[in-house]
Amino acid sequence: MTTATPDRTVSLRELSPAVRGTRPDEVVIAVSPAFAGHFTKTIVEVPHAEVLRQLLAGIEEQGVGARLVRVRDTADLAAIAHIGAKLSGSGISVGILSRGTTMIHQKDLARLSNLELFPQSPLLDPAVFRMIGSNAAQYAKGESPQPVPTRNDQMARPRWQAKAALLHLKEFECIEAGRGPVEVEAVFELTDAG
Amino acid sequence: MGAPDRDPSSARLVVGVDIGNSTTEACLAAVAPDGSVTYLGAGLTRTTGVKGTPDNTAGALRVVRDVLARAGRRPDEVHTVLLNEATPVISGLAMETITETIITESTMIGHNPTTPGGQGLAVGTTVSIADLAGQPPGDPVVCVVPAEWDFDDVARVVNAAVARGVAVVAAVLAGDDAVLVTNRLDRPVPVVDEVRAVEKVPLGMLAAVEVAAPGRTIRTLSDSYGLASVFGLDPEQTRAVSPVARALTGNRSAVVVRTPSGDVTDRRIPVGELVLRGAGKELRIDVDAGAEAIMATIARLQPLDDVHGEPGTHVGGMLAQVRDTMADVLHDADGSAQPPAEIAIRDVLAVDTFVPAEVRGGLAGEIALENAVALAAMVRTSRSRMQLVADQVSEQLGAWAEIGGVEGEMAVGGALTTPGVDRPVAVLDLGGGSTDAALLTRDGVCTAVHVAGAGELVTKLIDSELALGDREVAEGVKWHPLAKVESFFHLRHEDGTVQFFDQPFPPQVFARVVVLTPDGPVPVETRHGLDHVRRVRRAAKSRVFVVNAVRALRQVAPGADLRALDFVVLLGGSALDFEIPELIADELAPYGIVCGTGNVLGTQGPRTAVATGLVRAHAAASSCPAG
Repeated sequence: MTTATPDRTVSLRELSPAVRGTRPDEVVIAVSPAFAGHFTKTIVEVPHAEVLRQLLAGIEEQGVGARLVRVRDTADLAAIAHIGAKLSGSGISVGILSRGTTMIHQKDLARLSNLELFPQSPLLDPAVFRMIGSNAAQYAKGESPQPVPTRNDQMARPRWQAKAALLHLKEFECIEAGRGPVEVEAVFELTDAG
Repeated sequence: MGAPDRDPSSARLVVGVDIGNSTTEACLAAVAPDGSVTYLGAGLTRTTGVKGTPDNTAGALRVVRDVLARAGRRPDEVHTVLLNEATPVISGLAMETITETIITESTMIGHNPTTPGGQGLAVGTTVSIADLAGQPPGDPVVCVVPAEWDFDDVARVVNAAVARGVAVVAAVLAGDDAVLVTNRLDRPVPVVDEVRAVEKVPLGMLAAVEVAAPGRTIRTLSDSYGLASVFGLDPEQTRAVSPVARALTGNRSAVVVRTPSGDVTDRRIPVGELVLRGAGKELRIDVDAGAEAIMATIARLQPLDDVHGEPGTHVGGMLAQVRDTMADVLHDADGSAQPPAEIAIRDVLAVDTFVPAEVRGGLAGEIALENAVALAAMVRTSRSRMQLVADQVSEQLGAWAEIGGVEGEMAVGGALTTPGVDRPVAVLDLGGGSTDAALLTRDGVCTAVHVAGAGELVTKLIDSELALGDREVAEGVKWHPLAKVESFFHLRHEDGTVQFFDQPFPPQVFARVVVLTPDGPVPVETRHGLDHVRRVRRAAKSRVFVVNAVRALRQVAPGADLRALDFVVLLGGSALDFEIPELIADELAPYGIVCGTGNVLGTQGPRTAVATGLVRAHAAASSCPAG
């Protein structure tokens, strides 16, 4: 059967400086400077193409639109997500770092607050990204989704901390200070690995 | 400190203490030798232990010390502590499901996913997506997709099959992918998703898939004749599928598979009979008959002597469980437990309810609302150990402690201090475990009754009907009005009004249905909308308190005629509720009764009526020593 899921890659084509959306039925996905650029996979090797595809699918399944924005001048997740939320027509955004750490934010919240936070990037798989997209879309519709069940692994911190720190440093190096967020388009490509 | 100058030195300090099922209340007063009473304060605390047991002492002492401290008095100034003669009415609750929906041979999928795809009605043979490539063109096909399939692949395979001439008319998916797949199909078809056990869908069978437009419900599969038309059924078969149609009513999407002997049954679970004894008769009533029939039977047997459940049945188990709990509470004077068999259940309130339960044999975690009966039972015993409490209180405080009087009479005495009330007056004490009524006629004759079922039963009904699984949350839903948080700065109240706030709400209440507690909004974890929660809450209160108010008042009213009553005063914790008093007042209005919430001493609201009544009775008795 076909589930030899063909490897997909994604590249983010920069369109124009990001502006505030006006449609109340959109969720902004705000990605970090190195997402789907310098990096192509999360800390546990989930391809960024799959992360984006699942987030977009979760939003689409709820009948809500999505816009992609790359934040270039910070690698702080709360800041990225909050910038996304302020650009979002619904006020809801999903912020994501290259290593996979994800957050659902709302424009009226304090920057360091959030609606849902998924801090342990090693535990996030495609199914979780789908649920995150779905929940963000439901918030945008004014529904009351059950929060995505967050897994917790006591060993995640000691096991992954070093790698996470290295990834963060690298992401930090990709910051382009003084450059505002840019609207991007995801271009998916199939690469038959087989 | 210093005693107020109004208080003559000869006045004695008296504390009335009312130990109730959930709260212990106290009223502090100075009683002059001529019987005139000066009220100095009132207070309440949670009852410690079960009402009528020595465990109550701690709570009684706490409330007495508390009310003394607030009045600026010392415990050693207290002359007498008066305790209520707790007619030990103890209540127990039990609930039992009496129906069960079973799907056999996976005939039906009716779980109502939030986001089905496409719309319309389609009929075809079920084929797994893995076999779609080998499917010859021609007959219509309903494609069945297991969980591991990605939506892009599903769309690609289906589009390829359609291009070859295979008529794929509908799809059934395991994942939450219906909209995604439909958006990617060259020719959109109705798609039902989130069918968790999709591998159990019988293949090679005729199946019908229907998806309604957003905001609408399906029309064909939820109609018996619609099913008959779709599948070409004869009248006998149509009769057999009518439960399927009924089970799908109100859904936005559904799948029905025609299998040789598949069926959906709505089975009644044999629950057993209640054996009721009273008024020299013994009657049996099947619990299946529902709350109304049970209550009608109980009404014919007043006063009730005892209730038993048929041994070996659910109802037998229910009542045995109630008896066992009570046996732990009721002790003989020597401290030995009373054998459960000797405990007589003196009243039962049956309430029809429903319990959301997962359907047996369902493929997608379908939930059916099964009928259930909740029973509140009440036990009366003469073996109150209130004297023991009185002895312990006396010892600890160094004051004289005595049992002051029967609760019902005392409550009436306290209620009479409400401004605007006169004899004849009836009080309704809406407590936690039982609803009590007492009537004081113009000539001073007092009659009192206790009926089973009150606040605790309401909480239990709310808990189970909303499937909250948390008593604290259910209690919150019962006590506080609801609202929906619509943004971080505004919420919509249950009556539709919008309120704005300067400070943002905490993130965990965003977009949720909340109860507005004094400490701020608290989220209610439910997938139901605000309207549904409100309906359940009001229905639960009405089925317990309105029914019991009428039942109890009929028992005390002269000639069981409610028109013979003039004033009805609502007392007790549940009289503080924001809607129970109005629900009862609405019900009583046609009988020309003045009904309202008590305001004891003009300041205390519906609380401390019994404690105040105890002090009044004591003062009246001490002013005329003969009485």
